[in-house]
Amino acid sequence: MKRFGALTALDGVTLDIAPGEFFGLLGPNGAGKSTFMSLISGLRPLDAGTLNVDGDGVSAGSAQARQALGLVPQHIALYSDLSAERNLRIFGELYGLRGQRLRERVNILLEAVQLADRRTDLVKEFSGGMQRRLNLAAALLHEPRLLLCDEPTVGVDPQSRNAIFDFLKELNRGGLTVIYSTHYMEEATRLCSRIGIIDHGKILASGTIDELLSRLPFEEEIRYPSTPETGALSGELAGFGELSTLEGVTRFRPKPGYPLSSFYSVTERHSLPPRLFTSQRPTLEALFLQLTGRMLRE
Amino acid sequence: MQAILILLKKDFALLLRDKVSIMITFAVPFAMIYLFGLIFNVNSKDAGPTGIPFAVVNQSDNPASKTLIDALRAEKTFRVVTDVNVDEKTTRPLTEEDLRPLMRADRFRFALVIPRDLVRTDAIGLHLKTYSNPRNEIESQMVTGILQRTLFSSVPELLGQSLQARARSAIGSVRIDRFNGVIASAVAREFGGDEAAIRERISNGNFGFDRIDRATTGTGASSRGIRDALSNVVKIDNVQVAGNDVVSPAATLLVGGWAIQFLLFAVTASATALFREKEHGIFQRLLSAPVRRSDILWSKFLYGICLGLIQLVTLFCAGQILYKIDVASHLPLLAVVCVFAAAACTSFGMLIAAISPTPESARGLSTFVIMLMSAIGGAWFPVSFMPEFIQKLSRLTLVYWSMEGFSQVLWSHASLAELMPTLGYLTLTTVLIMGISVWRFTKGRIFE
Repeated sequence: MKRFGALTALDGVTLDIAPGEFFGLLGPNGAGKSTFMSLISGLRPLDAGTLNVDGDGVSAGSAQARQALGLVPQHIALYSDLSAERNLRIFGELYGLRGQRLRERVNILLEAVQLADRRTDLVKEFSGGMQRRLNLAAALLHEPRLLLCDEPTVGVDPQSRNAIFDFLKELNRGGLTVIYSTHYMEEATRLCSRIGIIDHGKILASGTIDELLSRLPFEEEIRYPSTPETGALSGELAGFGELSTLEGVTRFRPKPGYPLSSFYSVTERHSLPPRLFTSQRPTLEALFLQLTGRMLRE
Repeated sequence: MQAILILLKKDFALLLRDKVSIMITFAVPFAMIYLFGLIFNVNSKDAGPTGIPFAVVNQSDNPASKTLIDALRAEKTFRVVTDVNVDEKTTRPLTEEDLRPLMRADRFRFALVIPRDLVRTDAIGLHLKTYSNPRNEIESQMVTGILQRTLFSSVPELLGQSLQARARSAIGSVRIDRFNGVIASAVAREFGGDEAAIRERISNGNFGFDRIDRATTGTGASSRGIRDALSNVVKIDNVQVAGNDVVSPAATLLVGGWAIQFLLFAVTASATALFREKEHGIFQRLLSAPVRRSDILWSKFLYGICLGLIQLVTLFCAGQILYKIDVASHLPLLAVVCVFAAAACTSFGMLIAAISPTPESARGLSTFVIMLMSAIGGAWFPVSFMPEFIQKLSRLTLVYWSMEGFSQVLWSHASLAELMPTLGYLTLTTVLIMGISVWRFTKGRIFE
């Protein structure tokens, strides 16, 4: 548990993340993701409970835990008036790297994040995507066993985002445990082998994507505009599944076993053209909506 | 036009929400105006400094010496010191031997010795001895001027005595008494009055010269002539207790004062960079690494000391080039003072960062406090020019003690032992302020 005055930022959070996992923490802004990250990285103490990093008995914030993890903060936590190489050397030295070993690690990481040819340039001269990549590299100098990524792609262009994703996946394949917080459902779906959905300081659900989606009482979601013309259709569908309307879009989630052919018969009867309707498999967005009654981005 | 008015209204709305800007716009200049008014005695009938400690050692048993001391006591510029503490409860009269050590310790910078031979018998005139530690040229010139004025207002009576004494030794008591009697008889006959009383006054040296007192304080050619005449008959031996070989004491103060002021700005800016590092998430990265909060604070503190040492020594070296301040001969001790001054200044910067909720408020608060501290600490004007209560306040500022240290090294060529009280005060200030700063930092949320 973690409190800030009267505000309970995290409450009853129980998670067990195995070595080598790519665990996603998915939730809207203010859900408690960054607080969770700060507790793991030892920046804040727990008010109640236990939190072990890198095995039993290694409590968060201990010297062993700090050495085992690398943090990629939400902000570009770099000295913008220093060069990329100088930044990496500083953070490497803080982890005890020296001499040849430090040079090797700096070179490897600059190559890995495709900044080797810009190593002597000042960070403030980099694009947002380049800064993000360097921000990530700075957390990997000491070869941590656990990488904490707190929304590491905020404000990044798609190209750099893909580069970061590929890099993280590669690191994870090499055995690095990654905890990745995000409010982008697509990121969590694309990257994470297991996801915890967090809101108002509570973990609402956790598991693999399939496990999470199986919690939904429907297998398909049909969306159509909420207009007077579709109003009668919605009234007719009410008994066959779950209906919700958000931002002018009606979502129909049929009960298991309800045939889609029946749905399209009804639409024909109401003379509604097929182009109004889109059908898709349920997403984590739908699960979040199911769990909280709100959209993720709200 | 409407767009201009809307944008104008917007700027005022932003200003009203920005307390720091309001403080810098109004409170800082107001405080400075008030302080300068006090320093320059604006709208005050009693212009000029007051309460400058002025030691007087009276070795003479001549009653006129008491008159002279009373005249000095009546002068508001001076706070006459005639005794020295033996212990906490008892005092004894100052002796000439006490003066040098007390003046080097800056208990007072000016002293007058009234010797046994105040009224000379070997020649017509008076003999006085002054001690001075003129580390501030403006202050010294002013004190010397006021001392001369006070002396000359008392000289006529003393001069009469001198004339009588010289005549008595030259022509004998019988003949001078006869001469006094003839003069008294002539004055009584021509101008009236009691002949015996007139003879008594003449024998005591009272020739009515006190009537020229008013003239000596005038500005005309005749009064200048009288002053020159009087100065020729008053022999003053001056002993300078420190700084005899210093080319420019004013430059020492000038460089020291401005250097410490800008050091305060520099180290405060460095300390308030903590806010920027917090905003950039750098603390998150650092504190997730094997780095403690105290490591961050102490690194800032040591950085401030190094920065201060480099800045101060560089500026003093510039002072050597520009004003021939002898820095090279005193570099080791000057560096020691610079380190202690830099430590005190850095702790001040850390305190500002620790108690300010935002970088903007830190900038506003530091500007205000640094300017105030520089003004009353003596960086801009001699402290002795300020009202006495501000002089007391100035001793609470680290600007005062830093400048004191510089002056002790470069002017008085103080030894390390003599510097100890000043270094002790700077250390105490540093420890106290850093203690509060660290406490505030650990209680505050800057690292969260």
